[in-house]
Amino acid sequence: MKKLYDILSLQFELADFESKRSDLAFCKVKASQAISLLTHLRDIHGYTHLVMLTCVDWLEDKQFQLTYLLHNYATKTDLGILVFIDRDHPVMDSLHHLWKQGRVYQRELHEMFGIDFPGSPGVEEPMILEGWQGPPPMRRDFDTKAYSDETYSHRPRVQNEPEQHMKEQLYSED
Amino acid sequence: MNLRDILSPFFVWKRAFEKPYSINTLSAPRPGAPAYRGFHKNDVSKCIGCGTCAEICQNVSIEMVPVATAKDGDSGLRPKIDYGRCCWCALCVDICPSGSLTMSNAYTWVEEGLDKDVRDTFCYTPGVDSKPWDNEPLGYKKPDGYELLLLDRIPMPHLSPEERLSSFVELVKGYSRELAIREADRCIQCGICTATCPAHMNIPAYIKAIREDNIAAGLQILYDTNPLPGVCGRICTRLCEDVCALSHRGDAISIRWLKRYLTDCVEAEDYKDILKTEIKPLGKKVGIIGSGPGGLSAAYYLANMGYEVDIFEKTAAAGGMLRYGIPEYRLPYDKIDKDIDFITSLGVKIHYNTCVGKDISFDDIYKRYDAVFISTGLFEPYFIGIKGEDNEGVISGLKLLSDVTEGKEVSLGKHVVVVGGGNVAMDAARTARRLGSEVTILYRRRDEDMPADREEIDEAYEENVTFITQAIPLEINKLADNRLEFIWGKAEMHFEEGAKRPQPVLIEGSRETLVADTIIAAIGQGMNFAWMDGEAFANIKFGKWNIDADRWGRSSDQKIFIGGDMFNRTADAITAIADGHRSARAIDKLLNQ
Repeated sequence: MKKLYDILSLQFELADFESKRSDLAFCKVKASQAISLLTHLRDIHGYTHLVMLTCVDWLEDKQFQLTYLLHNYATKTDLGILVFIDRDHPVMDSLHHLWKQGRVYQRELHEMFGIDFPGSPGVEEPMILEGWQGPPPMRRDFDTKAYSDETYSHRPRVQNEPEQHMKEQLYSED
Repeated sequence: MNLRDILSPFFVWKRAFEKPYSINTLSAPRPGAPAYRGFHKNDVSKCIGCGTCAEICQNVSIEMVPVATAKDGDSGLRPKIDYGRCCWCALCVDICPSGSLTMSNAYTWVEEGLDKDVRDTFCYTPGVDSKPWDNEPLGYKKPDGYELLLLDRIPMPHLSPEERLSSFVELVKGYSRELAIREADRCIQCGICTATCPAHMNIPAYIKAIREDNIAAGLQILYDTNPLPGVCGRICTRLCEDVCALSHRGDAISIRWLKRYLTDCVEAEDYKDILKTEIKPLGKKVGIIGSGPGGLSAAYYLANMGYEVDIFEKTAAAGGMLRYGIPEYRLPYDKIDKDIDFITSLGVKIHYNTCVGKDISFDDIYKRYDAVFISTGLFEPYFIGIKGEDNEGVISGLKLLSDVTEGKEVSLGKHVVVVGGGNVAMDAARTARRLGSEVTILYRRRDEDMPADREEIDEAYEENVTFITQAIPLEINKLADNRLEFIWGKAEMHFEEGAKRPQPVLIEGSRETLVADTIIAAIGQGMNFAWMDGEAFANIKFGKWNIDADRWGRSSDQKIFIGGDMFNRTADAITAIADGHRSARAIDKLLNQ
């Protein structure tokens, strides 16, 4: 797979090649070149299958990492393309014209991380969070507890602490 | 609209007579897998209500509800689980310190009656609210070989038995900072121990302070309820450790050694800065008789409240049984002094060598002070009650221990027999070992019935003390060579219903002999009120053995309070300290409110 990387490097600005197994490798590419690289991989190098598109939130680095995982049926190898985009302006080119299922992944990333893929059909429609008011919930700075405290009402409950409870029952007069 | 549209709803009806595709799970149940994480079960007799399940629950689905009366080691609370929140992760089962919480493999529950209180809908208290799966043997249990709790105690470094016998050096070396933090880290902060501690020390709080390496905060917490923490950190009977939640499946937290670690971390001269005592004098005086833990504790709290405190002590040094009844290798004198010096630094005056009834009369004290706290302790050793006990060479355990404390020359001879199975007996035996004697302990009941701390018994074994159990002393005779012949008989155990310990009964005709140079009787001590006189004495009501007092130590004379060994039943330092604190508050209530 290193060979493929070297060939691709002639045309694209790639970096950080990392071979995880003999049939699995990852490398990084500039966001502006990502879609043409994917097209190239699909049409020239036999990576015809988009296995998945997912995201990692690097909160501290203020970046989202998009991972495009492609599969080549002929060589039985997987290639992951990593793309880093600005977390504060999360916009990425859409790939729905390359793989139809891409629109579903992009809709999900829009909903869960707030990443926009302009032109992707139905990207703003909710997938599972119908009527969601809050910030995208998979972002690491999303405070689940604060959100549920604000949004939902609580079932009334009394939390008895053993120490306090035993004091009241056994030696409150002391 | 055509005819078909109108009729089609009716065609659906023909399906009503066909076999349904869905399965009715209620009439044809499909059991969960054998280790399925289904609805919870709780063995409520094993559960101690420590709330650790509620603490670890990531969904806040467990509420601790009172279902029984709290008692030692059991808060009486039980977990109630909200299945609207539970995600069946089973962390509660995995961490349960008592091992009482498990899960059945039942996964269907139809709740009827939605008119119920919202607090009870799809909520129940396992083991308390009966459910069909209560006796279901299958389901999830904590797997072996995986543990969320740290069940093993960090071992305390000790002197080896050989090193011990050659000196009176403290045998427990104490935790280092690293070991103490690791031990403190095991605590689950449930607070079950706080209720059991006679002084109700805030144990979880000071353990947390150790964990956070905040020694100053830890010391302040200790002094809130115990002004002799350096002493208790060494010799406390640590009832707290008996009920520690971790003791159910592993080792209790070394609460005592952690307390010791805190006090050992702070130099005596830093106590004042850390504890920041500001005293506003009230102009009232309290007299205290006896400078044992009870008297010192009362003195500390009273002095802090602004009272002028005088302690009358018949011996030349303060501490009472702490100093004269506990050997140096368990409680070094400089550690007692460290605690006492801080108390006297608050202005508490101790009048040494002042025996009430001899050097000063009780009546005098009663008239001179606004209140009097009496904690003279149990200082009169009991006799064995056999023939020949008055021979020279028969002494009490307490006499030996106090002679050693006072630095007197003690010669016990080669063979020593100690009679008794309490802490004084162990201390006397082990002191005799250090003085070079061969020691045999005779005890009336079985090994497991001995009232001494298990640790002391085990250490005595390690130090090669010989134990003879189920032995009843019969008589002591003086031999021609000035040695003593000790005659004892074997006893059998009679178990009576309801009795805590069996009754020893002499086997008819049994007669064994031991020859000893010294015989030490350590079978307990009693009190004595011969020193009391005057009008106050005439006014106080006495019970069978003791002054009548309520739980605050208030006697029938409102100015007189009692505490310590002469008042409580456990007769240990921490209870005396608790008595002193309680009476100090009662005295304050009397004089200042």
